[in-house]
Amino acid sequence: MRALIRFGKQPRLRFISHLDLQRFFQRAVNRTGLPVAWSQGFNPHPVMSFGSALALGWTSEYEVIDIKLSAPMGRKRTEDAVRAALPEDLPVYEVRMVDDKHAAPMALVRMSDYVVRLEGENAPAVLEQIPVFLQMEVVTTVKKTKSGEKEINARPLVVEMEPLEEGCFKTRLMLTESQSIKPEMLVGLLADLAGVEAPRTHVHRLALLGLGPQGDPLPLMTL
Amino acid sequence: MSLSERIENLMMSVQKPVRYMGGEFNAVMKDANGVDVRYAFLFPDTYEVGMSHLGMKILYHAINARDDAWCERVFSPWVDMADLMRRDGIPLFTLESRTPVREFDLLGITLQYEMSFTNILEALDLSGIPLRSADRTEGPFIICGGPCAFNPEPLAPFVDLVALGDGEEETQQTINLYKQWKAAGLPRSEYLRMAAHIPGIYVPSLYDVCYNDDGTVRSVTPKPGSGAPEVVKKALVKDLDSATYPEKLIVPYGEIIHNRIMLEIFRGCTRGCRFCQAGMIYRPVRERSVEHLMQMADSLVSSTGYDEISLMSLSSGDYSCLPELAHRMVERFAARRVRISLPSQRIDTVLTDTLKETQKVKKTALTLAPEAGTQRLRDVINKGVTEADLIRSVTDAFEQGWSAVKLYFMLGLPTETDEDVLGIADLAEKVRRCYFSVPKERRAPGLRITVSASVFVPKNDTPFQWAPQLDYETVVHRQQLLRQTLSKVKGVDFKYHAPDLSYIEAVFARGDRRLGDAMERAWRMGCRFDGWSDQFRYDLWLKAFEAEGINPDFYALRPRTTDEVFPWDHLDCGVTKAYLLREWEKAQRAECTMDCRKGCTGCGMKRYGACEGR
Repeated sequence: MRALIRFGKQPRLRFISHLDLQRFFQRAVNRTGLPVAWSQGFNPHPVMSFGSALALGWTSEYEVIDIKLSAPMGRKRTEDAVRAALPEDLPVYEVRMVDDKHAAPMALVRMSDYVVRLEGENAPAVLEQIPVFLQMEVVTTVKKTKSGEKEINARPLVVEMEPLEEGCFKTRLMLTESQSIKPEMLVGLLADLAGVEAPRTHVHRLALLGLGPQGDPLPLMTL
Repeated sequence: MSLSERIENLMMSVQKPVRYMGGEFNAVMKDANGVDVRYAFLFPDTYEVGMSHLGMKILYHAINARDDAWCERVFSPWVDMADLMRRDGIPLFTLESRTPVREFDLLGITLQYEMSFTNILEALDLSGIPLRSADRTEGPFIICGGPCAFNPEPLAPFVDLVALGDGEEETQQTINLYKQWKAAGLPRSEYLRMAAHIPGIYVPSLYDVCYNDDGTVRSVTPKPGSGAPEVVKKALVKDLDSATYPEKLIVPYGEIIHNRIMLEIFRGCTRGCRFCQAGMIYRPVRERSVEHLMQMADSLVSSTGYDEISLMSLSSGDYSCLPELAHRMVERFAARRVRISLPSQRIDTVLTDTLKETQKVKKTALTLAPEAGTQRLRDVINKGVTEADLIRSVTDAFEQGWSAVKLYFMLGLPTETDEDVLGIADLAEKVRRCYFSVPKERRAPGLRITVSASVFVPKNDTPFQWAPQLDYETVVHRQQLLRQTLSKVKGVDFKYHAPDLSYIEAVFARGDRRLGDAMERAWRMGCRFDGWSDQFRYDLWLKAFEAEGINPDFYALRPRTTDEVFPWDHLDCGVTKAYLLREWEKAQRAECTMDCRKGCTGCGMKRYGACEGR
């Protein structure tokens, strides 16, 4: 049996790196007192995985951790135990118990929704470029990869984008191993279109999404 | 923009932003308006160092157990953060509520190490608090404690109170007194006068220091009419089982130096090593019961989720019920995959059956501290171990599958000669032979011997407080001698450092009030994080001493006569000066003193009525 836990990362904790968060969860899982399954091998550790890494400095209301249990456990008890083991700045939003055959969250993630807030005087000029960007068919840019730099078309990686009040915009971006773009990079492209320097950004993740039976994007926890 | 937002803006541009983040699991949050006393606790080093420190955890918990007070943590911002805070006018703040330190009622500072003194000045300045006690008309009272509190004289101009000895109870009394003082609406100076009556509290500003023509101290006496005691006795917690101990520990997000449960199994040490300040000032030995330790371990494992418990003390192998404790711990926590570890192992107690049991999981390097290379010199320092002990320990270890050994020594111990230094190389060679004496199929491959030699710093309140530090040239000569000799022993890695940092440490360890100006000048010139070799500026320190007309050799290199009055003689650390002097004289005759568990050696602790003194 496995527990899928959706939790958030509040502004105060946005400077925890993904690696530190993983270590933190090893201890947090010990604190829950739940019958956690341990890996075999030379250096055993609790079996768990994250839906997606959150970059340093981002906040979120949709992080997913998948913890394997060695014995059946009720949803409510699991939720209470996990909530008690986390600080208030890592709030637990929902818990779902799934069987071992359920696909790993990491394998299901296709897209992510974000709210991006732009700081400073360049923000309006950047936001004005959103409709321009959406009407383009090809937005060529250079992406750094492990094997060097690669020219890509960024346009299809941006599924949706709309401006909001007060220097913010909302966007849905591709998030798979081969196709992904980070909000900061998107802001850089918009700033290039506007001919201004990229403003400082605050990124907040609203949701991780996978694909439903009809290929429609659905929140990860519902799949 | 709020202070919190301004801090967060800086965090994107500094190394290790988690240092300044707060919000850890088990950090204590309270309503600031719901408490009478706000207490900021400063550890004057980085977050990773300070968060590894047990004393801070104990006092944080002890203060926060009260409903009327809230203790919050402060660490020295690393130089990158400090510079940005200064640029942006951001005051030093606490991690919990991000409140400026200057708005607190009390500021407790722990003095673990002389080389953190400039960080205290840096912290006061970043807080916007005037450096000198005499210049402060508002803001928190500054209370220093910890081992260096037994000679706080170089800091005397800057601090308000000094807390000697165990902090659990005296800290509460300083808080109680603060409430009374505040309620009575008395002037600031009255708090200091009243605090001088709390057991263990020393108020430097209430004392006059007179000097002899040769620059030594003639006397330190309470100011007439101050009511301060002539001698301040340290505070002592007689029964550790009834003393407060955290049931929860803050679990940091980033990695810190000691990221595990620290369980203090006893306080004090009976060995009587003559170089060791901790072995003197933390007397007498007070053990916690096995029952109590098991309970403490249980609640800490559940509340932190840590997978390692370190059994802490000055000499854990000396715990009277160690086999029982270790056995029950291993049994109790094996199923929860919690490791039990013993730090700083002594070579005479190290490889008991117990340890074999506790080391089941991981074979890290075996760490041994013979401290000196010859039996004669080990007798001088009263390190009651022999070469045979060492040989037995390492042979056992190699047979059990260890292949890495770390050996710690000191250079410049009193009466040391070149021959003693060559003895270190000789020991390393013998350890190597022990390894090869174990049949190849039984020993683990890859022998690694690390020999570490630090420079001895004579400390106040030890039998070596009368001894000069070895001069720079001779230290360098002996380091090179040892390096050359060890280079002929295969498989040995030799670690040593330039003696300049130890020299400044020696100046302050036995310093007096006249050093305060030089310390402030050095800090103004840019000295901070002096204990970090990448930050330490020897050149600036020498300039600062020169500008203030201070000859540092007077403090570090001068042999003291037995009738000299020391700047710390009015602070009673538990052991008497007469005992220390006897030990100093025996040291020069290379005579040993037995472990006082085997019979009272008359150190003076009986005066405190907390020592069985068999």
